[in-house]
Amino acid sequence: MRGLARLATLWTRPRPVVGATPADEVHHENKWRLMRFRPRAAGARFRTPILLVPSLINRHYVLDLMPGKSFAEFLVGEGHDVWVVEWGTPGDEDRHVGLDDVCDRTLGRALGIAARASGARGAHLFGYCMGGTIAAIHAAARPERVASLTLVAAPVRFSDGGLLSAWARTPSFDVAVMVRALGNVPWPLMQSAFHLLRPTLALQKAVHLVERAWDDEFLDGFFALETWGNDNVSLPGAFYVSWIEELYRRDALANGTLVLSGRPARLESIACPLLAVTFEHDNIVPWPTAALVMDRVASPDRERIHLPGGHVGAMVSRSAKATLWPKLSGWWAARDQSVVRRRRARTGTSRK
Amino acid sequence: MNGWDIWKKGFDAWENATARVLAEWLKSPLVLGPSGALLSAMMRSKAAGDQALATFWGTMGLPTKRDQERTLHALNQLQSRILDLEERLADDERR
Repeated sequence: MRGLARLATLWTRPRPVVGATPADEVHHENKWRLMRFRPRAAGARFRTPILLVPSLINRHYVLDLMPGKSFAEFLVGEGHDVWVVEWGTPGDEDRHVGLDDVCDRTLGRALGIAARASGARGAHLFGYCMGGTIAAIHAAARPERVASLTLVAAPVRFSDGGLLSAWARTPSFDVAVMVRALGNVPWPLMQSAFHLLRPTLALQKAVHLVERAWDDEFLDGFFALETWGNDNVSLPGAFYVSWIEELYRRDALANGTLVLSGRPARLESIACPLLAVTFEHDNIVPWPTAALVMDRVASPDRERIHLPGGHVGAMVSRSAKATLWPKLSGWWAARDQSVVRRRRARTGTSRK
Repeated sequence: MNGWDIWKKGFDAWENATARVLAEWLKSPLVLGPSGALLSAMMRSKAAGDQALATFWGTMGLPTKRDQERTLHALNQLQSRILDLEERLADDERR
């Protein structure tokens, strides 16, 4: 009853403050921006920067959701030097922006800037969802500046029998003609497709909202996540064509036939430390499609964390803050350039 | 167990079952084939309309939207290449 009474006042609730961790824009090119989160007052504890790569169809602030529930804020607090790519909103002319522009040139530039500014050889590359696939493709073709690779719910195999795969592989769906007609793929079209993955989800959320309407902390998180979930970005046309044709239809990343800017992008070329995070109840990226990377890379230092939870909740929830985030921070801390150097000095091994 | 809990249990069961049925239905080639064909036909007709309009503007000697998009994209690519060169120069200077 108290919850129902509370529901009536929801419309007067202030909008959630999202993406509030202080950050400075370090680089701006076409529509994308590279932002660096301001270090904690005591300064960064680790030398190797972390570059966060979000999905191209979402805003970056899922990784900086709200004060107290922000992955970026947590990492900064732990003493990491944290950077993030904000993809921006493509204009009509960006229909020509393709896989090479995003996975090679943009990420290459971002890694270079972050590494130079921090005085490190490279940066820890972190990719979430589609951002993870983009990061994996980059690391496979251009491993030079990738100190380590962390993939969270990032598909590398696309022929998984799931809904997205079935839709993208429908032979009567002509991707090229769609992009010729629309230029960029409008976000409402993609959002409808994601809603169709579980058409009853909106109803389920509404019931959940009624049930927890008394809980302020829940409401803050709920509205912040809804704000993010409805703040989508259209996808550059050429990129979309490659994504569907190369990845979904030819499964080129899993098959080892993907080419990035003329270079082969084979998962077997990834030799840096790798951490893959998969979620048991992920209906957008079924966990086996993300776990495959473990069997394919050449990295001697590789680890997989498998957690219960869904695609978004498991990354931003209270339990993620208590378990997943500290694990990620600890994993990067153990692989920081200064730590690795000290360890080598102690054991008397040198880098060839 | 109160009334809400009983209703919620029933709702969860219904939601799960409905979602499973809809997922199967949305994956069926009987739905996907015609839907894909319909979407492609609509897109083909829009593309043909845009092309006809662009041809009309072109015959009047005016740049089309596509021309402007291509030019802007070329400028963006050019900016990117200049930044590449600047980075290389900076790297060489550091060495």
